Amino acid sequence: AATIRTRKFMTNRLLCRKQMIVDVLHPGKATIPKTEVREKLAKMYKTTPDVIFCFGFRTKFGGGKTSGFGLIYDSLDFAKKFEPKYRLQRHGLVEIKKTGRKQRKERKNRQKKVRGTKKAKVGAGKK
Amino acid sequence: MSTEEITEAVNLLSAVESQTQDVTKLVDHLLKKATENEYNTSKGISFLELKYQLLLSYLMNLTYISLQKSQGSSIQDDPTIDRLIEIRTVLEKMRPIDKKLKYQVDKVVRTAASGGTDSSDPLRYRANPENLISKLDDESESESEGEEKKSKIYHPPKLTAMHYEGDETEMDKDQKVLERAKKRALSTSMLRELREEFSEGPTEIRETTSTQRSRAERKLRERTHYEEENFMRFSVSKKDKGKKGKKAKQIISKKFVYDYMKPIFVSNVAKSPD
Repeated sequence: AATIRTRKFMTNRLLCRKQMIVDVLHPGKATIPKTEVREKLAKMYKTTPDVIFCFGFRTKFGGGKTSGFGLIYDSLDFAKKFEPKYRLQRHGLVEIKKTGRKQRKERKNRQKKVRGTKKAKVGAGKK
Repeated sequence: MSTEEITEAVNLLSAVESQTQDVTKLVDHLLKKATENEYNTSKGISFLELKYQLLLSYLMNLTYISLQKSQGSSIQDDPTIDRLIEIRTVLEKMRPIDKKLKYQVDKVVRTAASGGTDSSDPLRYRANPENLISKLDDESESESEGEEKKSKIYHPPKLTAMHYEGDETEMDKDQKVLERAKKRALSTSMLRELREEFSEGPTEIRETTSTQRSRAERKLRERTHYEEENFMRFSVSKKDKGKKGKKAKQIISKKFVYDYMKPIFVSNVAKSPD
């Protein structure tokens, strides 16, 4: 029952993509997940859903209408080149290794005790 | 010519003869009076008298001309014509003055014809300049006296005209309330946005100066515009979250929306047992 409308469509030749504002109308239902929006956009623009990246969906007060952004790349290579890592990670194309917040903070505190190039050595060896 | 006409003509001519005798007698009388300086013209003659003297002389000259023409003699280079022209020009010049005096003259004539005026004649009234002077100086003097005179009931000062609602029936009032609710419901932002979406005309950007929410709305509009231009979303600060919360406190539930929009679908007011 959800309707998708696109606004402010623009073909960005520099970044090899088409970018637009996506309006989703879903009266009476919760916000539609991004994967479904990608499917619908793929059908509209006759591409595969894996080159479509959606983000920034905000539901309007009162419900029923959500606005977000959508990018459709010419090919997946271009997408991998131009998209930020966190968005690629959402699609599962890239794995970002995160060391954990606590570990990072402790490393920083250990580094505070040392001066100069020894800081790098300290970080490497986690006691 | 028939005998009737002849007799009629004879009668008329004899009448003319007798009347001319009367006229000559009158003229001699007048001439005597004029020569004996009975008519005092030291102060000049009045406008109205001048008017009818001129008219009279005009008529006399005109009759002389017509007499000449009926007799068949030429009127070329006749001084009568110059006189006629002169009198005519003077009369023309007198006409605007006559127009200005018309009101007074008419009033006098009417008074003369009706034989006296009654005091309630509306034309006798004119502006009383004393009523135009403000009498505010008197108020300060009469303040000490005024406190005793003040009545217990408070009467608000009548400064502007106010709408009178005493003649409206109950049904009329309900109808008015309904119409107002309908108008308000139709102009909500929800319906307005729907209308904008489905309308095929160009988008209008109207300058509204709602002083209450202009700053907040302007900020919000700027923010959304920036977001849409740059394909990013702002993070909402605590302050903004609080502000949005204020509006959010009006919980827009489905029932609320229904009650708000109901007036649109009610066509007329019926006395419902509410």
